[in-house]
Amino acid sequence: MAARSGSRTDDSLTPLARAEGVTRRYRRGSEPGRVGRLFGRSTPPDVTALEDVSLTITQKEIVGLAGPSGSGKSTLLHLLAGLELPSEGTVTFQGTDLGSLSTRKRTRLRLEHVGIVFQHFHLLDSLSARGNVALPLVELGVSKSERRHRATELLERVGLEDRVTHRPGELSGGEQQRVAIARALVTDPTLVIADEPTGELDTETGLTVLEQFERVADDRAVVLASHDQPTLDIADRVVRLCDGRIDEEATVRL
Amino acid sequence: MTPAGRLLRTGRRLWAAGGLTIAQLRHHKLRLGLAVLGIVLAVLATTLLAGVGLGVLDTGQAQFDAADRDLWVTAGETRLTAAGGGGFENSLQNSRKVADEMGTHDGVDNTVPMSFETVYVATGPDEDFRTFIATGVSSGGSIVTINEGEDLRGDPHYAGGTYEGEMTHELLLDRETARDLNVSIGDTLNVGGSLAAARENEFTVVGYSPTYERMLGTPTVTIPLSELHQITSNTGTEPATFITVSVDDDADVEAVQADLQEAHPEYEIRTNSEQLEATLQEQVLVLAAAIALVVLAVGAGIALTVALLGLVVYQQRQEFAALKAQGISASTLVVTVIGQGLIIGTLGGVIAVLLTAPMVDVLNRLAALVVGFDGLVQTAEPIYLGGLAIAIGIGTVAAAIAGWRVGRTPVLEHL
Repeated sequence: MAARSGSRTDDSLTPLARAEGVTRRYRRGSEPGRVGRLFGRSTPPDVTALEDVSLTITQKEIVGLAGPSGSGKSTLLHLLAGLELPSEGTVTFQGTDLGSLSTRKRTRLRLEHVGIVFQHFHLLDSLSARGNVALPLVELGVSKSERRHRATELLERVGLEDRVTHRPGELSGGEQQRVAIARALVTDPTLVIADEPTGELDTETGLTVLEQFERVADDRAVVLASHDQPTLDIADRVVRLCDGRIDEEATVRL
Repeated sequence: MTPAGRLLRTGRRLWAAGGLTIAQLRHHKLRLGLAVLGIVLAVLATTLLAGVGLGVLDTGQAQFDAADRDLWVTAGETRLTAAGGGGFENSLQNSRKVADEMGTHDGVDNTVPMSFETVYVATGPDEDFRTFIATGVSSGGSIVTINEGEDLRGDPHYAGGTYEGEMTHELLLDRETARDLNVSIGDTLNVGGSLAAARENEFTVVGYSPTYERMLGTPTVTIPLSELHQITSNTGTEPATFITVSVDDDADVEAVQADLQEAHPEYEIRTNSEQLEATLQEQVLVLAAAIALVVLAVGAGIALTVALLGLVVYQQRQEFAALKAQGISASTLVVTVIGQGLIIGTLGGVIAVLLTAPMVDVLNRLAALVVGFDGLVQTAEPIYLGGLAIAIGIGTVAAAIAGWRVGRTPVLEHL
């Protein structure tokens, strides 16, 4: 599968999201409380998921994050989407330091500017495909007719025009992931992040989903994390991570 | 955005959140059914246990109201006795003489000694004897209500204190006791304070009276006071539980009470409500148990409701986390969760309240069958309202707290 080509314009070089000197540490287990400290329970050690990582995502480019399990791919995705904040360093989105925003404002920023595709789809079983796709528009206060129209249109674009009223339980894995892709795009985000988007799918289905993902992503910036080479093949460049650091040698520009 | 536009947007969000609430509940029908069932049981536990607590107090009040007397004279404590399933201690000695003396006071219309004794009863001298409470009354119609049959023919055996008058050998039963003993008007029963006395004394059922069954809340046989004293070998001391006093229509009850108290300082003379209060004060354990039942019932209902709705929300934590990751605000999630709590709480509360009355009836029938107490469980409007408040109010608050926690939990914790 060929990488998206010929889409770059001058504004495509404008930084959309940037991680600068980002380190993310997690604590193994919970902090001891007063009683815990009284009984000599010590603070659990930290584990470093990312260390001093810098990466710039420009408009309209597709960036692949590669690397073995535990290398920090998902953590970097989460930081770029504002799902969590770095322990050190800064992450900016359209020039705004995400660390300076409240949780509520970061949630709003994701709603308006970031689409997310999960490995496990995370669709609501109680809603139809159209209901799932339209859900983010609820938060934006879009009218019902407009929600239905936009959701139906996106489902048609991912080839699910005959599955609009089906619930997730009535759809195959590939169809569910296409619904999730449509949902990620329904608010017309400037950045789409996808964490192992084909991880739950067989090879053939994965390729079909990727083709449609690439097609409907249009000129949006996409960051996707994957172990899977065919998935990474749609990227303009691939950044390899190893033990929480960017392996500069392995970063490939396609 | 203009304020009207913002309002419209908020309205659409709320409407859609409501739709999401309904969709979530409808899709998970088993979970909804179990959650509603849980709330129904929690509320029923509350209303029924509170009903038992109320029943204890209500039965006490009814006892005194049913007697329709103005003043109650006792000597010392008026404790309920465990023997025979209820009744009071007969601590007032020489009750006839005392009653006669009190009857001469200004403003007193009449005085009636009343004795409650445990007696043996059987349908024949060779049948199995059972214990019942016997009420001894010194006159008939003025204080006993007759449902069917005839009243007692007075108390001729007393014969001015000689106990040489004719024994009527008549008694009254409440219908429940008559059914229990499988006898009807005209049948005979052997009654006595001892097995030997019971085998010798045969009484005829002449009528059905609910008066003392209601007053004591237990099956009773009602017989003339002198005959009760005779068959329980108490003619020497003529003990009574109370002497009840009716005052003249135009007399001031409190003034008569004060006069009698001054003349008879050795006795406690109380009005209906004072007597009930005094009786209940001496039943600290009973009262404590009743209050504990109500508190435990309400506490258990609240705890169950909170736990249930917390679990319902917890089961959806991954779905909510995914929604939040996509930018759905915490407030929309909280509205969705509150909606679920409100619907589950309302459904559970309404069903439980509708089931309370028939359940009370079943419990009362069961209680009457097993322990002989009628009206053990009582319901009242505040109990129904309390049940609804727990289900809807606490349910909604519990869901709101659970939703608030979901809103605050870091997104990645559940993804």
